[in-house]
Amino acid sequence: MLEQEFPGASGAISPIRGGRQAAEQQIRKIDGKRYARSRDHLNGAVTGLSPYIRHGVLTLAEVRDAVFQSINNRDDGSKLINELGWRDFWQRMWQELGDHIDDDQEVFKTGHSASSYSRELPDDIRDGCTGLACMDGFREELVSTGWLHNHARMWMAAWLVHWRHVHWKAGADWFLEHLLDGDPASNHLSWQWIASTFSHKPYFFNRDNLERYSGGNFCKSCSSANHCPFDASYEQLETKLFAQRVPIRDVPARRQGHRSKSTARPNPSTQRF
Amino acid sequence: MDLKQPIVWVHEESLGSTNPALEDYPEAPALFVFDQDWIDSKHISRKRLGFLYECCLDLPVTIRKGNVVAEVLAFANRYGADGVISSGAVEPRLQRHGAAINRDCPLWILDGEPFVELPRAPRLGRFSRYWREAEPVVWESYKASG
Repeated sequence: MLEQEFPGASGAISPIRGGRQAAEQQIRKIDGKRYARSRDHLNGAVTGLSPYIRHGVLTLAEVRDAVFQSINNRDDGSKLINELGWRDFWQRMWQELGDHIDDDQEVFKTGHSASSYSRELPDDIRDGCTGLACMDGFREELVSTGWLHNHARMWMAAWLVHWRHVHWKAGADWFLEHLLDGDPASNHLSWQWIASTFSHKPYFFNRDNLERYSGGNFCKSCSSANHCPFDASYEQLETKLFAQRVPIRDVPARRQGHRSKSTARPNPSTQRF
Repeated sequence: MDLKQPIVWVHEESLGSTNPALEDYPEAPALFVFDQDWIDSKHISRKRLGFLYECCLDLPVTIRKGNVVAEVLAFANRYGADGVISSGAVEPRLQRHGAAINRDCPLWILDGEPFVELPRAPRLGRFSRYWREAEPVVWESYKASG
């Protein structure tokens, strides 16, 4: 039916089902405590509720109440409630910004001018043939399922903007073509947070970080493993990627645990797409 | 004055059974329109369309595609409706559609239950500012439910 009605639309249907029944199956699995412990890992206990919340199949209020029911004390649910807060915050920002959500909210803090970033998404990224197993893997998941773990979204966005020097808007628009939860509020402002036009500093990562939270699965089979662009310390990457020093040591960590011993950079996975 | 014979316009931000327009007007004919301009201009993939379609199948709605405003007005006309009921939308595109519908046919917007109800508009700009104000209020309902 959809093929006939929308011949111009690309790709196949997602294995993630829409509708109330699918949403209820998913919401029954909520576990605030496990979420807090494991959410930064690609195989962590994330909720997968974002497509249903985005389209109002579930309201944030319903999910909030489901979290409350799944916990025995406030500590167990604080992380997940915090993430629902992010969603509410993005929506309020969108209400305030309107169409200006498409604009850079602030200047880049990378030392590069906004005009120096490419406005086109490179073909190798769109086609998933960059030679980087992680990024091609994320692209495959994005295009085939319409969903990506938040950490994968962050890594991919950081790579596009800071390594490939693509303007965040080109990447953000591409994500919206595919993401079932695609929402300019969460999506565009998170891309801007990565890019540093909606934060005090750019977000970037290194191989150590990606390997840890992806279980090392990509690096094992990566043809670029011996010349990985992410295989460096944060200090080295900072010098390579940015035209001005980005203070990485003066920002207090917003969360504890899972921190790399090799860097003082706080674990940055606090942002939600 | 209440609307006597309204239709319901369901949009992409409220494809659930808790849609306040569907809840309050269960007898009114309801419509969802795939926004062809949006789909074409944003290159929306079939995955997203399929997901929206499956969400619609769970709801008592007629499904159309094309120009949203024209389709909603034609649907209202077909049922001799004296107004359109819908739910609040954040997306500017949907707000523009609502404003255009309202020029030809009265549009009533109903709001669902909010995530958090704050006594005054919170300070935005950065999440931390907003959350300082919102977090204690969100958790009040945990205490209430516990």
